[in-house]
Amino acid sequence: MKPLSAFIHKIVPYAFKDVDNFELHPRSYSQVRLLLFFIMIAISIGPVLTTAGLGYYNYKELLQKEERGQLESRLVGSSRSIAALIDSLKSIVIFVASKNRYVELTTDNNLELLFDRIKRQYEFFADIGVIDQDGIQQSYWGPYDLKGADYSKEEWFKEVIARGVYISRVYSGYRLVPHFAIAVANQNPVTKKHWVLRATIDAVTLQRFVNTIKTNASDDLFLVDDEGYLQTTSENFGQNLSQLVEDIKPGIQQGISAGGENLFYGMDKIKDTPWSVVLVEKRYIHHEEWTTFRSKLLVIVVACLVLNLLIVYGLVTMLTNLIRKADELQVSMLQEAEHTDKLASIGRLAAGVGHEINNPLAIINQKTGLAEDLMLLSPDFEHKETISGCLKVIDQSVDRCKAITHRLLGFARRSNVQYENVQVNEVIKEVMQFLENSMLHSRIRLELKLQEDLPPILSDHLQLQQIFLNITNNAIDSMSKEGLVTIMTHLVAGEVRVVIQDNGSGIPTDILPHIFEPFFTTKETGKGTGLGLSITYGLVKKLGGDITVRSHVGQGTAFTITLPIKSEDHDQN
Amino acid sequence: MDKNLHAKVLLVDDEEDFIKTLSQRLEMRGLKVSAATRGEEAVGLAEKQTFDAIVIDLAMPGMDGLETLKRIKENNPDAEIIMLSGQGTVKATTEAMKLGAEDFLEKPVDMKDLLEKINELKTKRILVLQKKSMEEIEQILKTKAW
Repeated sequence: MKPLSAFIHKIVPYAFKDVDNFELHPRSYSQVRLLLFFIMIAISIGPVLTTAGLGYYNYKELLQKEERGQLESRLVGSSRSIAALIDSLKSIVIFVASKNRYVELTTDNNLELLFDRIKRQYEFFADIGVIDQDGIQQSYWGPYDLKGADYSKEEWFKEVIARGVYISRVYSGYRLVPHFAIAVANQNPVTKKHWVLRATIDAVTLQRFVNTIKTNASDDLFLVDDEGYLQTTSENFGQNLSQLVEDIKPGIQQGISAGGENLFYGMDKIKDTPWSVVLVEKRYIHHEEWTTFRSKLLVIVVACLVLNLLIVYGLVTMLTNLIRKADELQVSMLQEAEHTDKLASIGRLAAGVGHEINNPLAIINQKTGLAEDLMLLSPDFEHKETISGCLKVIDQSVDRCKAITHRLLGFARRSNVQYENVQVNEVIKEVMQFLENSMLHSRIRLELKLQEDLPPILSDHLQLQQIFLNITNNAIDSMSKEGLVTIMTHLVAGEVRVVIQDNGSGIPTDILPHIFEPFFTTKETGKGTGLGLSITYGLVKKLGGDITVRSHVGQGTAFTITLPIKSEDHDQN
Repeated sequence: MDKNLHAKVLLVDDEEDFIKTLSQRLEMRGLKVSAATRGEEAVGLAEKQTFDAIVIDLAMPGMDGLETLKRIKENNPDAEIIMLSGQGTVKATTEAMKLGAEDFLEKPVDMKDLLEKINELKTKRILVLQKKSMEEIEQILKTKAW
């Protein structure tokens, strides 16, 4: 634990440490504020961002997975329906080219009649022809004169002979109209010769069919042959029979279009045909849901951030202020304790000095006494009168010193407090009676603002008198003639507060901290001992109270004495 | 100068100058003065002779005033003692009174006060002594069959 706490102590910035002496090394509150702010923001916003990010990516993945699944099923569906179409077309041709019809179809105008019949049912048949084993078109019905054409060199002819059925790619051929052919090979049961029935179908059929199975207008569904030529028109990749530039592989792929849109490519080979069906989806089906989710998420995250920022800012400001206040309180308490301590030690020192001085004083006193005695015994001589006068003055001075040491010792002495119920207002009135004469003499007015219903307090009557007398005397001394002394009493928070205020000369700021110190006086030498206020201070403290002073030079001074209603010391006794 | 007072006094204080001057002044007033600067010395003197009054300073190095008072009172319960309280503490003074001091004076001492106190003690002592001798005489009268 020890190295851990040492480590923590090391990494914690100075501003956060519990330092004893803030006076010498004040902490930076802006640093505290900033650090607290960032730490709290990080703590509060981290989880929000993490959750939001996780939600975002998970939902995206989920949507994409579903999207892919849907696309796959649509692709398979499309490819199956196209296969079904091709199958049905194939079956028509196979039905027409039943094995033994070669002779029938090559004679007279039977082919034309057949074509008419087919055309009535399936108008997309463009032409029809019968080709013999050598690849020569024996019979043909259609818009061109293709009878006698030789197909023996054609790839498809070889293939149809080999495999029985052949479906061509879409091509323009002679007619410059896109079409494709279905060829079926049969063996004449009589001649044992192969023959082929070849029907050409307009590619528009495919286009139409593709258009009908294309469910979503935004999608792109088209057929492409094995060599990459478009078999039906694509919305994005050009007209039919043009080369597909996009490299699309079988299966489902994802890509980005030139316009920056997300694209899904799906490609599925249609069985027994040269075609593959291609499904291109420009955006997800769930695009709407996705964008609403995204904007909602954004709104929530931003709201969270703003709210966090505000709350954290408020909290941090509050905390910093609290810390600052606590520090200030600590400093002021330390200062006060220091001051009290100083006063106490000065008091002890004063008592010691008083005691030490008493002994030499006693010797002086005795020596002058002896001298005086001898003077009385001896006859008159020159300067006898002067010497007697000197001795008298020495005696007087010793008496003055005695008075001072007496007060000094009184300052240090903690004589017992006689507790009784005291009406503070009464005490003040008594004291004012003592002072009436001197106030009249100086033409100083007195204003009493006493709270009538003040409760009696448990305190020492005589000592309270002494306190009020000292302070009021000081007030009177501080004023030239025609001043005003105001004495107020009131009950504040369970304590009696007495304010003694004058409009006298006031106390300069540099002197103010020292006024309670013994021997501190601004009066002329000999006029004051400098003990009055320090004795008052000691008395107030002894009674469990407090005394503070506020003063402005030229405006006056106010002493505030706070006295407990019930002394704690007394309660303990 | 005050009327002469024939009393035998012991002064105890660590301040030699103080003792010397005070003795001189008291002697000028006709008193017989012995002086001691240390508590032990005072106890020794008080053992050898009797005094009408013993003046002891409370604060002394070594054996202090209270201790000296106690020791003298042990040997001689009738001794009349005045404490000099330079310290002016009520507590020490009360303690001294409890231990049997007759009175106390605050330093610096006023000659008039001191003489008055000594006089009082002497008178009291004479009365006590008279009473004592009366008792003794009565005792003798009672015990001895004449």
